[in-house]
Amino acid sequence: MFYKFVQSVDKYLSFFEAKAHCDVPCGIYDPSPAQINALTVVRMMDLMISLEQGEEKGRLEYHNTLSRYITVKEEHAEKAKHEIRVIWGDYIKDTHLEKFPELTGLVHKIMQLGSKSRQTCNRDDGVAFVDAINQFAEIFWATKNIKTKKAKAPYAPGLEMVYPDL
Amino acid sequence: MLKIIKVTGESLSPLFFPGDYVLIRKYIFLFGSISEGDIVVFTHPSYGLMIKEVHWANSDLQQIHVTGSHPLSVDSSKIGPIASADILGKVIWHIKKPRHST
Repeated sequence: MFYKFVQSVDKYLSFFEAKAHCDVPCGIYDPSPAQINALTVVRMMDLMISLEQGEEKGRLEYHNTLSRYITVKEEHAEKAKHEIRVIWGDYIKDTHLEKFPELTGLVHKIMQLGSKSRQTCNRDDGVAFVDAINQFAEIFWATKNIKTKKAKAPYAPGLEMVYPDL
Repeated sequence: MLKIIKVTGESLSPLFFPGDYVLIRKYIFLFGSISEGDIVVFTHPSYGLMIKEVHWANSDLQQIHVTGSHPLSVDSSKIGPIASADILGKVIWHIKKPRHST
C-alpha cells in the first residue's frame, strides 16, 4: 500500500535512481531468459482462451484469474523485451551487425511484437514473438560460434525453441 | 535531511531489488556515523549514483569500502574506496516493491 503511494509520488517528482550495479560488463549474456519469458506470454494467452471458454465465465473467480493471467502476460512480455535490449545494447557490436545485418530489423520486430502481445490476446502475435526471439537466439549463439539445435520446449505450450548445442 | 531514492540493478539482491525505494538520511557524519553492514548511497566519479553495503571503513572514515550482496556483484576493489564527501546518505528505511509470485 505504502509502496504504491511512493510509486505515485515518484511519477510526479522522479526520484533520483541509485544503481546497485556498476555497469562493469560481467560478460554473462544469454537469450534464454527472453525465450522463456516469451513462451510464458503464449502460455498465458492459452490459459486466457481456455478460461474464456469455461463455465466460470462472468463469475468473480473468473475475473480474478483472468486478471492474474493478464498481469503475468504483461510482465513477461516486458521482461522479454528488456532481456533483448540488454544484449542488444551491451553485447552486440558493430562487427556483429556487419556479419548479421538483419539484426537491427529483427530487434525492432521483437520490440513491436512484444508490445502487440501486451496489447492484445492474439496467439499468432505471441507465437511470432517467440519465433522472432528464437531467431535472435540463433544469431546470438552464431556470434559465439556455438551451434544451435531446435527442440520442442518440455512444457506447455511446447513450442519449438532454439537451444545452444553445447 | 531525508531523501527518497529508487533502486536499480541486482547487486544488492536478495536484500534489495530493482524498483525498491529507500529513504536515506543525509549529513550522516553530523548526526552519527556509518559502520560495516550499513547501506549507503554515494556518488561514484565513473558510475554515478550508486547504492552499496559498507564492507569496512577506516577509523577516521576517510576511506569507505563498499560491496554488493549478489554473487555477480562487482567487488569493492573495482569500485575503489569511497570518500566520505561522496556519501549522499545512509539508508534508514527500505520500501520494498511487492514481490509477485505466480
